[in-house]
Amino acid sequence: MAFVVLEECIRCKHTDCVEVCPVDCFYEGANFLVINPDECIDCALCEPECPVDAIRAEEEVPVGQESFIVLNAELSVHPAWTRITHKKEPLPDHEAWTGVPNKLAQLDRNGA
Amino acid sequence: MSNFIEETVLSVLHWNNTLFSFTTSRDAGLRFKTGQFVMIGLMVDGKPLMRAYSVVSAYYEDHLEFYSIKVQDGPLTSRLQHLQVGDKLLVGKKPTGSLIIDNLLPGKNLYLLSTGTGLAPFMSVIRDPEFYESFERIVLTHGVRWKNELGYYHYISHELQNHEYLSDLVKEKLIYYPTVTREPFARQGRLTDLIENGQLFSDIGLPNLDPEHDRVMICGSPSMLKDLVSILAERGFTEGTSHTPGNYVIERAFVEK
Repeated sequence: MAFVVLEECIRCKHTDCVEVCPVDCFYEGANFLVINPDECIDCALCEPECPVDAIRAEEEVPVGQESFIVLNAELSVHPAWTRITHKKEPLPDHEAWTGVPNKLAQLDRNGA
Repeated sequence: MSNFIEETVLSVLHWNNTLFSFTTSRDAGLRFKTGQFVMIGLMVDGKPLMRAYSVVSAYYEDHLEFYSIKVQDGPLTSRLQHLQVGDKLLVGKKPTGSLIIDNLLPGKNLYLLSTGTGLAPFMSVIRDPEFYESFERIVLTHGVRWKNELGYYHYISHELQNHEYLSDLVKEKLIYYPTVTREPFARQGRLTDLIENGQLFSDIGLPNLDPEHDRVMICGSPSMLKDLVSILAERGFTEGTSHTPGNYVIERAFVEK
């Protein structure tokens, strides 16, 4: 089991989650974060920290977003996605993208 | 750069066949907030095998202390339980956790609700003067099955009462409420029942839980957390995070094997 970053993170990328992660298992692309499921220890700290509610435990991923479980696993081990260990500013236009549905099409895969 | 610091085991105390505590040296650069946990572990087959452990010791102490279960086939605890003075222990450089005072709104009474090794972070809390300055009463509950699982019982009920610097604060403000479920003891029953039927509050002479004046920290098994969170939610308590402090915070007592 692991926690999973969901669609709502795309184009927002607040990174509050990163700051609390004890094992630094978050990886970042240009406009999205993912969790490496093999490194996540299920401590659940990141879930309430996300200001846009974009993190869920694997077994609580909402219907329709199941593909994000594989997406997190896939992108987090891609060499173009780098480990992020500390909080930084969210993306400049995060407010405009908060709550916008179907953001998956906006995902920048960072060459992955 | 390594994510771990190598510390040295300074002492080991076995409480019974299933529980033990140990202390290690502490790197001067390792800072943590009271109530936080850190990854600790051992090198196994050339790789670090790490698990999350709440820090038992106070933030101002020059050593680190941890409280652990022993499980025969547990990947880490089966090895940790054989720790000897002088052995090396890996300690992560990034303490974190939600059981911190910053995540709580100001309040009057602080309830520390724990089962099993979930007591660990609260041992640090009850030795932090800031908590005594921030609350009128601190109620520490520790729920276990058998009496011999009440780790730190003697320390809390005797030594801490005579602590060089904390004794006055402890005597004035700390209420220790250990309970046992499977054999006769002064206080018996599950924490959830003792809260729901009001027994806890009549025993300690405080009003029933109310988000208006009470704050709660919970650390224990996943099922205990779930039950207590639903009790708190029914009473209007909200969970605190670093950006939105609330009436309660939770953390699981991580290592189960």
